Amino acid sequence: MSQIFDKLLDARGLNCPMPLVNARKEIGKLELGQVLKVVATDRGSVADFQGWAKVAKNVELVAQETESTEGANVYTHYVKRTA
Amino acid sequence: MLVREPTMAERLSDEVWSAGDLLERLERRDKFFVLDVRNRDEFERFPLEGRTPVPAVNTPYFEMLELGGKDDMLDSVVAYVERDLADQLPSDLPILAVCAKGGTSEFVAQGLRRLGYTSANLKGGMKAWGEHYAIRALVEGPDLAIYQVSRPARGCLSYMVASAGKAIVIDPLRHLHPYLDLARSMHLMIEAVIDTHGHADHISGGVALAAETGVSYYLHPYDAIHPMDVLPATIPYEFLRQGQVFRVGRHELKALHIPGHTLGLVAFRLGDRYLFTGDSIFIRSIARPDLGGKAETWAPLHGRSLRRLLDLPGEITVLPGHFSSLDEADEAGRFAASLDDLKNRNDGLVVLQQESEEGFVRYLLESLPKFIPEYVDIKRVNAGLLAPVEEEAATLELGKNVCALSQAYVASGGRKQ
Repeated sequence: MSQIFDKLLDARGLNCPMPLVNARKEIGKLELGQVLKVVATDRGSVADFQGWAKVAKNVELVAQETESTEGANVYTHYVKRTA
Repeated sequence: MLVREPTMAERLSDEVWSAGDLLERLERRDKFFVLDVRNRDEFERFPLEGRTPVPAVNTPYFEMLELGGKDDMLDSVVAYVERDLADQLPSDLPILAVCAKGGTSEFVAQGLRRLGYTSANLKGGMKAWGEHYAIRALVEGPDLAIYQVSRPARGCLSYMVASAGKAIVIDPLRHLHPYLDLARSMHLMIEAVIDTHGHADHISGGVALAAETGVSYYLHPYDAIHPMDVLPATIPYEFLRQGQVFRVGRHELKALHIPGHTLGLVAFRLGDRYLFTGDSIFIRSIARPDLGGKAETWAPLHGRSLRRLLDLPGEITVLPGHFSSLDEADEAGRFAASLDDLKNRNDGLVVLQQESEEGFVRYLLESLPKFIPEYVDIKRVNAGLLAPVEEEAATLELGKNVCALSQAYVASGGRKQ
């Protein structure tokens, strides 16, 4: 189940708030309708991206995935620029 | 007294509070304000609480970032606070910035200082606060020492009872270092590890501590069956029996089976001096009978067990398994009181002495706080039926225990559930 995306942001190993701060910067560089894929290892990022997408007027959270590899979880967020 | 300017190191330490610093300030009733930037549900489930409620405002950091509108977190904090939050922040109190792990709140504390506020960051965030341990001696001598080992944020109490170089640990909490360090520094040999019951609110350190120290772990067999799953525990344990005596140095701990909160709940009596009550009698309240999902059938048992405890010598010191508010501690931060004292001021015991058996059961059933769904899984973990990774374990344990009946806490002026 892989989503289509236009740009990849690797935020693995970064702690809160950096995955979101960096994603916010990157989304500003995308064209309308384009999707940013963010991969993170910070578990808190799941709820934070949901909360952020509700507040931000120019983004839509398209999908979120959690993948477990070798006991470590990777959280993936797909964010679309809508305005 | 010499008045001087604080050194740079002192000023820095004022800007970063460890969990231990925070506890000290809460116990001293220092006045400060909290700006909590976690998600709203985390803030509601696990607020920062002291002897008295700590005034707080909650704004998730992603709102500050987005509505502050800057690329940089610090700049966003400054812009957001200045425009949208200033009217809610006191100018005459220190402001403690709080987040989940202490990283984001560092930006918040810096932003507040840039705006002229006095502000500190809670180092390690609510995770560090939730996992902070405090150790208080109730009595300390070569003949007998009792250490109360607590997690102040969670309201969990455990004990190390020591005599003549030997020790028994009762209800150890999830992290082993406080017990291992204490035993090492006091030159104590741990000889047994006991859980008073199968805990629902926190993950027991009992099995792990027993394994680490090479001793037996004891649990009443009734609590080695998960009450909802009706499945047997897979953990290694020795049967704990009514009347069983554990020798520790020159003293003895005697087991009293007092079913009610769980079917296998056991209290321990050290002569006429100390009574380790587990989850039966707390300081301000009593335990709830519904965490096994059988409130109606367990409540009468609970009442009968509590009445048996009331018959013990009035001067015996009650050492409970939980507290609901830091305010229940004495000035030295210890949670202990004589049984006679509690007969007069413990809400549940006052009702118990006034009511018939039926009346008391009614009181119990009408006083039940909200059921915490995580508690079913925590009981599974403690029975070895579920093995969470560290992060899942920490999430299961998030927030303060809700093992007591509700009135006491509401009556104390704390935040309602």
